[in-house]
Amino acid sequence: MSSSPFARYLLRRLGVSALLIVGVTLVTFVLTNLVPGDPVAANLGQRAAENPATVAAYRAHYGLDRPLPVQYATYLGNLLQGDLGESQQTHRPVLTDLQSAVPATLEIAIGAIVLSVLIGVGFGVVAAVRRGQLADSALRLVSLVGISVPTFWLALVAFYVFSFQLDLAPGSGRLAPATTPPPHVTGLYTADALLAGEWETFGDALAHLMLPTLVLTLYTVGLLTRFTRSAVLEVLEQDYVRSARAKGLPGRTVLIRYVLRAAMVPILTVVGLAFGALLSGTVLVEEIFAWPGVGSYAYQAASHLDLPAVMGVGLLVGIIYLVINLVVDLLYGVIDPRVRIS
Amino acid sequence: MFGARRSAALAAAAAVVLAVAACGSGGSGGGSGSGPTLVIDSTFDLKTVDPGREYELTGQMLTHGMYETLLTFAGDDLTTPAPGLASSYELSPDAKTLTLTLAQGRVFSDGSPVTADDVVFSLQRVIGMKGNPSFLLDGVTVAKKDDTTVVLTSAEPNAALPFILPNPALSVVNSKVVTANGGTTDDTDGAEAFLNSTSAGSGPYMLKSLDVASQAVLTKNPAYNGSAKPAYENIVIRNVQAATQALNVQKGDSQIALDLSGDQVSGLDQGELTVTSGPSAYTIFLFLNQGADISTATSNPQYVSAVKKAIDYPGLLQVAGTGSVQPASMIPTMIAGSLPAAEAPKQDLAGAAAALAASGVSGQTPKLAYPSDFTLLGLSFQTIAERLQSQLAAAGITVDLAPAPVATELDNYRNGKEEIGLWYWGPDFPDPSNYLAFGPDGLIGKRANWPASAAPDIDAAAKAAAAAVEPAERASRYQDFQRSLNAGGPFIPLVQPATNIVTAKSVTGAAYNPIWTLDLGSVGVAGEQ
Repeated sequence: MSSSPFARYLLRRLGVSALLIVGVTLVTFVLTNLVPGDPVAANLGQRAAENPATVAAYRAHYGLDRPLPVQYATYLGNLLQGDLGESQQTHRPVLTDLQSAVPATLEIAIGAIVLSVLIGVGFGVVAAVRRGQLADSALRLVSLVGISVPTFWLALVAFYVFSFQLDLAPGSGRLAPATTPPPHVTGLYTADALLAGEWETFGDALAHLMLPTLVLTLYTVGLLTRFTRSAVLEVLEQDYVRSARAKGLPGRTVLIRYVLRAAMVPILTVVGLAFGALLSGTVLVEEIFAWPGVGSYAYQAASHLDLPAVMGVGLLVGIIYLVINLVVDLLYGVIDPRVRIS
Repeated sequence: MFGARRSAALAAAAAVVLAVAACGSGGSGGGSGSGPTLVIDSTFDLKTVDPGREYELTGQMLTHGMYETLLTFAGDDLTTPAPGLASSYELSPDAKTLTLTLAQGRVFSDGSPVTADDVVFSLQRVIGMKGNPSFLLDGVTVAKKDDTTVVLTSAEPNAALPFILPNPALSVVNSKVVTANGGTTDDTDGAEAFLNSTSAGSGPYMLKSLDVASQAVLTKNPAYNGSAKPAYENIVIRNVQAATQALNVQKGDSQIALDLSGDQVSGLDQGELTVTSGPSAYTIFLFLNQGADISTATSNPQYVSAVKKAIDYPGLLQVAGTGSVQPASMIPTMIAGSLPAAEAPKQDLAGAAAALAASGVSGQTPKLAYPSDFTLLGLSFQTIAERLQSQLAAAGITVDLAPAPVATELDNYRNGKEEIGLWYWGPDFPDPSNYLAFGPDGLIGKRANWPASAAPDIDAAAKAAAAAVEPAERASRYQDFQRSLNAGGPFIPLVQPATNIVTAKSVTGAAYNPIWTLDLGSVGVAGEQ
């Protein structure tokens, strides 16, 4: 097994990824410590911050009294044991915080990316095939709107119209106030409710997911439509497509077997990047829908100079992009035989 | 190539699902209890609800709903400490000894009696943990005299102590329960995680669940035997941004919104909702650094006087919105020792021009530093700073705006590096002694590089106020101190921003309190008494 080229490739990739993760932690650590401002001042009250004994106790508790290289080494050592330190904001282990924030974000990100791919790629193909016609112009306009409209503004308007005026969607948060979260398994309320057989909770969670998911979808749809259109257009102009047509292959066969397959490689890259962006948390949308996800957590952490939490989010985002990159690279091989490792 | 892997993953997933389904509870999914649920939306300022550690606004509100303090304040009257777990108190003539008699028959949520030992443990724990609220009891020792009497002894005269004790950080916890879960009276205490999942108090509500990032759920304490009347089976407090709060409360998704600005409130349908507006206890102020090494302009007394006379105070109130008031002193209107409105600083452009000419300062542009990303009760410091800059410019005083994120700017402020600073002060406790911070060599006085030697008369006024014990004398001494500050100090009180509490018609008793925002135990249901 280990001698197969694919296994060797995978091992090498994982090795490089591990090094990159260490790099990410180092960069995050250096950057957070370069920020002017003292976490003690940001987290202790003004009276407490005047008392040397209180400040000393605080610094000792968070290990801020040691030299920076020692702090970093300690951080890495703890990291290997799965300990990301304690958040100065929530007084909980950062890992615990992330375990509750990640599923919240994942729940809206998965929905948004699936919908965006279905809609965006579909739109993009139609626009490319109908190039210069009315459908093309209409779809390009839709995508332009999707890209240009500020997401937080859209979130607020959507909330106002669909929840407040039309009552088609529930209020903010992940569940109605009277609903108890389902027994924790995955942290995804929809999945956990299904696993527990709590249909009412499932419905409530799903209803709360709808609006934030759709708002995030609109932006990503705009992006993917534009990108798919240009990728497909590029392939359509290739000689082999023209030859296939000339040979009398039906248009649909050409489109699916030749064009889409070739265009899929660049599209996949953008899908990966968009998914990464969604998973890293969309601060403003989460703030408006009172959605306790990665975006809200990162924002809170940064504004309070909560170093352990900032480091944790940095690490998480680094891992997300590395994993997505790896998955995208492997999928290239599935789509395009030329880049397959053999 | 991937086939085997994929099916293995599927099999694993299926196994997990089956295992979970087998031990799944099939719970109700709905809320528990039969009584009504109250939903409160607030923008969280919350780290913990461990009474000995919390010192954030949302933490104060939650803690106050679950625990009780020896003394408290009834409604919005901050001038007289009212009985809490102590039925009466006596302050010695030298203000160094406070003797408290405990109320009889009070119990914790587990039914066990509240004892003098619980009181001593709780207060010693706050002092010993060296946390955010420890300073409240600086120089205070706590001892049990007998089963119903607790004595607090202060090293210095401490007439403010009865006004400090109502602070929710000084709540009495069930010492047996807390000790059994890692609680101690020094910094080895490890009870915080426990207290963030289970409350151990004697207040009207108990903690059901807490996620400091998103929501807290309280539930009625069945063993409660105090004077409040908890009206709700459950109270859900959610972390929601102001814009979303406005929509939620109008829709009926929540019953109380705590963070709406004057602008947001003016757009609400008053037929469906009740808006309670009034000045908060925050004082937004300007200070001019008295260190000549920091700025030769701001340290010039005539220049300070010119700035005081150049500001258009009513114009600032327009920015701050309805319900805000101009404080006549650093001490806000609702606290003893504040000055009547007639004594507030006023705009005097001719006087400003004269003072500016007398100062000899010309061609200098001091930096006006402020936390640009900070809003207080919906009021943005960026907006106030811009307005101040244009008001000063109209009087011939040029300042450069120096915005920075609050986390960064706090450092400059605390280290006395700001030439002109725009900040705010909220009272730690509603007693004028809290404002000795603005005296020469006081906590904020130092940040303005303003030593006692620079203003011996103001220093004397501050010391005389601090030494007074009898309430009426204290109030008048603190007024004298405020007058001398207005005349010769580097601080300029600008605005007391408004607080707006928006409630559904079904809710009663939601009055603003500067220390704990809302007394959850007093919030009732309309029509039920």
